[in-house]
Amino acid sequence: MAAAVEAPVPAEQDSALCGSEGETRGAEVEEKSQPQTGSTGPAVSHSRLSKLPLARIKALMKTDPDVSLASQESVFIIAKATELFVEMIAKDALVYAQQGKRKTLQRKDLDNAIEAVDEFAFLEGTLD
Amino acid sequence: MAERPEDLNLPNAVITRIIKEALPDGVNVSKEARRAISQAASVFVLYATSCANNFAMKAKRKTLNAGDVLAAMEEMEFERFLEPLREALEVYKKDQKGKKEVSEQKRKDKEKKVDSGNEKSREDEEGEEEEEEEQQCMEEEPEEEPEEEEVEN
Repeated sequence: MAAAVEAPVPAEQDSALCGSEGETRGAEVEEKSQPQTGSTGPAVSHSRLSKLPLARIKALMKTDPDVSLASQESVFIIAKATELFVEMIAKDALVYAQQGKRKTLQRKDLDNAIEAVDEFAFLEGTLD
Repeated sequence: MAERPEDLNLPNAVITRIIKEALPDGVNVSKEARRAISQAASVFVLYATSCANNFAMKAKRKTLNAGDVLAAMEEMEFERFLEPLREALEVYKKDQKGKKEVSEQKRKDKEKKVDSGNEKSREDEEGEEEEEEEQQCMEEEPEEEPEEEEVEN
């Protein structure tokens, strides 16, 4: 039964996102051609683009049943925002580690940061 | 291959790198802290997606666009992200434009090669089929572009 329910959903999403997937294929083709044009090309673009793989971000987004289509730009911005989020939470957690005179960030530092920082309220109760 | 939201994690190596670049030298991160941050990042993606999708639905659009995500950041009280995100988006757009031009160039080059190949060896049906496929590809491109323009609005 679960398989029957899940089957139509991926099909819709796949056809809906096929445009963006085609674009990413184009991007992959372009990445292969970059070394031919110059070695500095890939270095510059990778430092500016997201470090997180867009395909994985897109897969995460697709788990939301309400989401049907997402432009490639939106996937990129979410990837970039997630990067900024990781930086932010790491730095906020570090404050608590330093208060405890530690140089190693621990899980409890993260819990403290989540409790203290308003923006992280959505995380409460979501982590193992 | 249907995954639950909880099963999909972001690559550990990348998360670790982002954390290390954000923190000063000499600071370490425990495995549990790293794992928790990675989980938090996944939750962030889901929450941001859901929030952005609300904006898209309000505008009666089926496609999530960049504007929806930026609006979501503001709603989630991550206004500090807005400026760096807008800058990154501009760079990304330029990059995508350049990539499109290159891939179009490649297709044109391929067409030339196929044509010369047709004259020599491949004739009749095979050559015609290839030409038809390429023409279909060409037709798909203009269809994609207007969709993008609408999405960007």
